[in-house]
Amino acid sequence: MYAHKKSKSDILFLSVVYSVLTVLSIGTLLPFFQILTLSMSPIDVVNSYGFHFIPTSFDFAGYRQVFHNQLIWISYGNTIMRTGLAILLTVTLTFLGAYPLSKKTLPHRTFWTGFIVLTMFFSGGLIPLYMLVKGLGLMNSMWSLILPGAVSTFLLLIVRNFVHEIPVALEESAKMDGANDIYILRKIILPLSMPVLATVALYTGVHHWNAWFDSMLYIQSEKKQVLQMILRKIVLDGDIAAAGTEMAQSAVNTQSMKLATLVVSIIPIICVYPFLQKYFVKGTLIGSIKG
Amino acid sequence: MSRKIVKAASIILSSAMLAGLLAACSKNEEASLTTAPATPAGSTTPQGPVQLDWLAYNSFGQMDPDTKIEKYVSEKFNAKFNVWFIDTNKWVDTMNVKLAAGEMPDVMLIKPDFNTVSKYVANGVLAPISEDTIRKNAPNYAKLIDKYNLWNTVKVDGKIYGLPSVNINGDYPTVLIWRQDWLKNVGITKTPETLQEFEDALTKIRNNDPDKNGKKDTYGLSDYALPAILGAFGYPGISDFKNAGKGIVNLDYIQKEGKITFAAIQPEMKEALKLLNKWYKAELIDPEFITSENTGGYWADSNALLNNRIALTGKGMFYHWRDKLNPDVPTDKGGGQFQNFQKSQPNGEIAFGKPPVGPNGKSGTIQWGVNSTPIGITTKAAKDPRKVETILKMAEASITDYSYFKNTFRGVEGEEWKEEGGKFVNLNNKTAAENAKKGIAVFHMIESPDWNKKIDAYNYQFGDSVKTTGYVPFLAPTVDSFTKYAVNLTKLTDEVYLKIILGEASPDSFDDFVKKFKANGGDEIEKDVNAAYNKNIGK
Repeated sequence: MYAHKKSKSDILFLSVVYSVLTVLSIGTLLPFFQILTLSMSPIDVVNSYGFHFIPTSFDFAGYRQVFHNQLIWISYGNTIMRTGLAILLTVTLTFLGAYPLSKKTLPHRTFWTGFIVLTMFFSGGLIPLYMLVKGLGLMNSMWSLILPGAVSTFLLLIVRNFVHEIPVALEESAKMDGANDIYILRKIILPLSMPVLATVALYTGVHHWNAWFDSMLYIQSEKKQVLQMILRKIVLDGDIAAAGTEMAQSAVNTQSMKLATLVVSIIPIICVYPFLQKYFVKGTLIGSIKG
Repeated sequence: MSRKIVKAASIILSSAMLAGLLAACSKNEEASLTTAPATPAGSTTPQGPVQLDWLAYNSFGQMDPDTKIEKYVSEKFNAKFNVWFIDTNKWVDTMNVKLAAGEMPDVMLIKPDFNTVSKYVANGVLAPISEDTIRKNAPNYAKLIDKYNLWNTVKVDGKIYGLPSVNINGDYPTVLIWRQDWLKNVGITKTPETLQEFEDALTKIRNNDPDKNGKKDTYGLSDYALPAILGAFGYPGISDFKNAGKGIVNLDYIQKEGKITFAAIQPEMKEALKLLNKWYKAELIDPEFITSENTGGYWADSNALLNNRIALTGKGMFYHWRDKLNPDVPTDKGGGQFQNFQKSQPNGEIAFGKPPVGPNGKSGTIQWGVNSTPIGITTKAAKDPRKVETILKMAEASITDYSYFKNTFRGVEGEEWKEEGGKFVNLNNKTAAENAKKGIAVFHMIESPDWNKKIDAYNYQFGDSVKTTGYVPFLAPTVDSFTKYAVNLTKLTDEVYLKIILGEASPDSFDDFVKKFKANGGDEIEKDVNAAYNKNIGK
């Protein structure tokens, strides 16, 4: 981009940066290739020592088992649904909660902020939470996964501070032009808050995609479980000893099935990341207005 | 400034009050919710089906509603089942939350082991069952438990708090597997039987290039065979090196001179560790044994054996390594681990070995013991005598009724199995989760050893043919102090044993270890467990 010649120290710096990044990305990619290869290899290759970056012989038994497993597809749908709903709900609630808190004109503003901050330090603990969810009748429904964490105090405060930084002058000038509060929120504050809302969306999305513990506690029906829970089950079931009769002796190649499951569940996320990346590079940190 | 403080204080105070108020509200609501359904359930007409919250099975998968097996069992016992599904892999965590929140099944497995009984009794989860009730409703079941002498495992303060169950596989010691072709290659024709013979064979395997690849890259053994070597001196102090490394409680009781004590602190273990240290220095033991020879896959697999690294492995059962094929089943390929071995080393051969005999004539591999996961009847179920009666009748049926056993444990006849020429033929080749979906192995309560042997006749005949000597865990009663100290004592034992084997500590540090072990809870457990045991046997 820059027309001027790079100085020697620049070149040195950049070469260090690039080599570190290269090593890091190789370090990230190689294990993935290992999994990819092993997932499509026969058992003797899986059991052998050494690195397996390029497949030499193929056996897709693991994938056949995975694609046969109805639960994986059902839980896939559940996770996508859960993540989508949660992002929508969390972003909306967080934004609507943060905006008033950022206004100096809100009556008892310090009290409400203090009250919200308080929840960050004191929590009821696991069992009261469980009883609350049960008492509200949310058990065994997707709402038990979404509602308890619908508003994250931490994210709410971040958004509040972000919105707080938007100059009041902008609103005042809009008011002079005849805009009401709702209009200002929608046409001025919301577009300017996009970077921070993208952050909230990503945080929420990643959290909900990876979460499994709440699903284990609140969801009794296997068909309503999320993907991570089913994954855990497949990965761990290979390790526990079932009853030691010939019934349990059906030669299930659990290792390659485990790895195939991993691949099947990782691929979609890998596909989604480049699209999410865009919002991040453009800047959650770079504000939309200056001075 | 002071105004600010007052303001802040008032915020905190008022919000705390508000929070308390909210908590109180939800608590009241909760109480009314839990008590409400209890009343109608208790006062239903006595002739209607009895309603059971059922968790007395290994929930590998969730059962579909209204399976044939459920209908069959419901009709047989005039019962309606609400089958719970708790993920087996996170059983303890999930159950703790549910029980703490006051949610209870009527009947449940007591996991992870029988030591949990005392914990559940202390928390009011398990109800005592009188011996008379058991003997009246399930006489044959009671006889079975008498035969294996398992009542101790479910007694707290002399009262029975659960139904012990039997796993016949525990009657067979774990096996020692040699690379037969390697032994031949180094000129040994007879599988070693004494410690001296073991040492000779393992030394030759280390030094004489048994795999003929021109490199000195083979070792004698790794972690799976270690307990068998310790066993040549007495009951092995650590029965499972891999799990001990993970901090999983791994302390076996033994009975010595009428007193219950720990195997890990016996003086003979010092001699055993000295020998292992010598073998480690001579490179007979794979230096990677600390991270285990099983680096992935099913737990009984030994990747080190499959990859021509070691010649001796253990830990698995006879059915894992069965190398004789069942002539009645044309598709039979032998045990799962034997199959994996054949795929990795097509020209390799294995032999079932015997545990080495030590200086005082002792020998044995680890044996699980027939004691299996006990089944508890909760305080909720104990309120209704009909529930207790039904549960006990189910236990009795699984011992006395062969067709009930086949149908609940193996599935519906014609779909999952058939009988041909008096032999049981399995038509089912499904995973445990798929079986659970159909209700298989969900309603059988106690496995009957005789019928297990009848169904898998060839398998157990093979087991009998390779049976060696084994060390069976002494089934002491459960005590609170064990639950309290066992994790730390396991860690301590593991650390000292490994350090002595690796030569990082001298064998003499074993004496300090024993003192430390006793001081840090060992003595307290011993005292409690002996008192409880004597009370149980009426001394």
